[in-house]
Amino acid sequence: MRSVYVVVVLLGVAAILVDHLSSPSSDRAVSPEDFAGACAPCGAPCPSKK
Amino acid sequence: MSSASLAASEKGAAVRIDLLFLGLALASTSILIALVLLDHQPASAALILGGFGLGIAFLKAEFSYTASWRRFLTRGEAGGLLGGLIVIAICALAVVPVAALSPKFGGAIAPLGPSLIIGAFVFGVGMQLANGCGSGTLYTVGGGSGRMLVTLLFFVIGSVLGSLSLPAFLALGGVDPVLAPDYLGPWGGLAVTLASIVVAAALIIAVARRRGATFIPSRSYLVGGIVIGLLCVVVFAAGGHPWSVTFAYTVWGAKAAAALGFDLSQFAFWQWPGPKHALAESVLSDTSSLTDFGVLFGAVAAAAATKPFAAAPWPPMKSLLAAGIGGLLMGWGARLGFGCNIGAFVGGVASGSLHGWIWFLAALPGCLVGIRLRPLFGLSRE
Repeated sequence: MRSVYVVVVLLGVAAILVDHLSSPSSDRAVSPEDFAGACAPCGAPCPSKK
Repeated sequence: MSSASLAASEKGAAVRIDLLFLGLALASTSILIALVLLDHQPASAALILGGFGLGIAFLKAEFSYTASWRRFLTRGEAGGLLGGLIVIAICALAVVPVAALSPKFGGAIAPLGPSLIIGAFVFGVGMQLANGCGSGTLYTVGGGSGRMLVTLLFFVIGSVLGSLSLPAFLALGGVDPVLAPDYLGPWGGLAVTLASIVVAAALIIAVARRRGATFIPSRSYLVGGIVIGLLCVVVFAAGGHPWSVTFAYTVWGAKAAAALGFDLSQFAFWQWPGPKHALAESVLSDTSSLTDFGVLFGAVAAAAATKPFAAAPWPPMKSLLAAGIGGLLMGWGARLGFGCNIGAFVGGVASGSLHGWIWFLAALPGCLVGIRLRPLFGLSRE
């Protein structure tokens, strides 16, 4: 199990690095709730907006 | 040699430090913090560090929502459940007034409707099969449980499937979030929120008494509840919203799917501004991911600092099957239910949002079903 964990940690950190270096970054970290019209932590719209 | 016996406790039991995994955890955390600081984002570094502290606190206190809810449902023992309410009460002291008074902050809100109830119920089933909830999955994976690695994998898959299902379930109807501070102001909202927690605690204690069970939180749940509550406030201060866990899983899954050639951006969920932004931007721009990474590596560090890491053998296949099914159900349920026990229950109630209590009341019967299913997979009902 230790070897599995070593692989998972290394692949995970590598994936984060690749994603970060190949994607744009905001001025600050955000949550979907920060966007206009968001009504839930995932950014779902409010029922009244439909 | 990765494990070294470095010291002995007063009682004579050797404390063994797993240098390999302690080093991996510290190096990984340092890399992530360096990356966000290079982008001039100190708040992101604070989220990683806050998560790191949460990972240590959860692991050292063995603070388990899943086990404590199961003990309450099967034996009436309420100490763990009350420990969870301590977390919420401490968090609410900061979240309710600050979110109401400062436009830079917001609470965890969610609409009320069938999606919330169905999602929370399914999540409850899944958490008992998986033997871990949203936070529990994170810190037990970090603690070296191979079984929970399987849960996490399927949690991620389930949450992506949930993201594709959510718009259809929202179309079933619902009402806008009901938030106490919206009606009573910041301090009235806080008073009602704290009162609701006291009433819930009284009801839980009454059930425990009637069943002749203990309701005093253990020392680890008491201290752990206070520390975790304070760290939730740190995460709220750094991220602007209460701590949430599962949105990150959805983003990780969607990014992995995209890497494998599956474009999810055409689906309704991924066209909403928040998810669309998260899918396009760096994973280190997502507050939920930053905290989750911190929790994972904090738990790895805490586990590796005291004993050889991940030294246990793999569990039986039936147990792994339950871990996978449980993870899948939790992932799907978390998306429909607007989060897990952290994002929806802790964050929701601590924000004065009615959906937090509805989530709790829907998840409990789901847990009962999950507990009944556990023996099918060789798991104890206790």
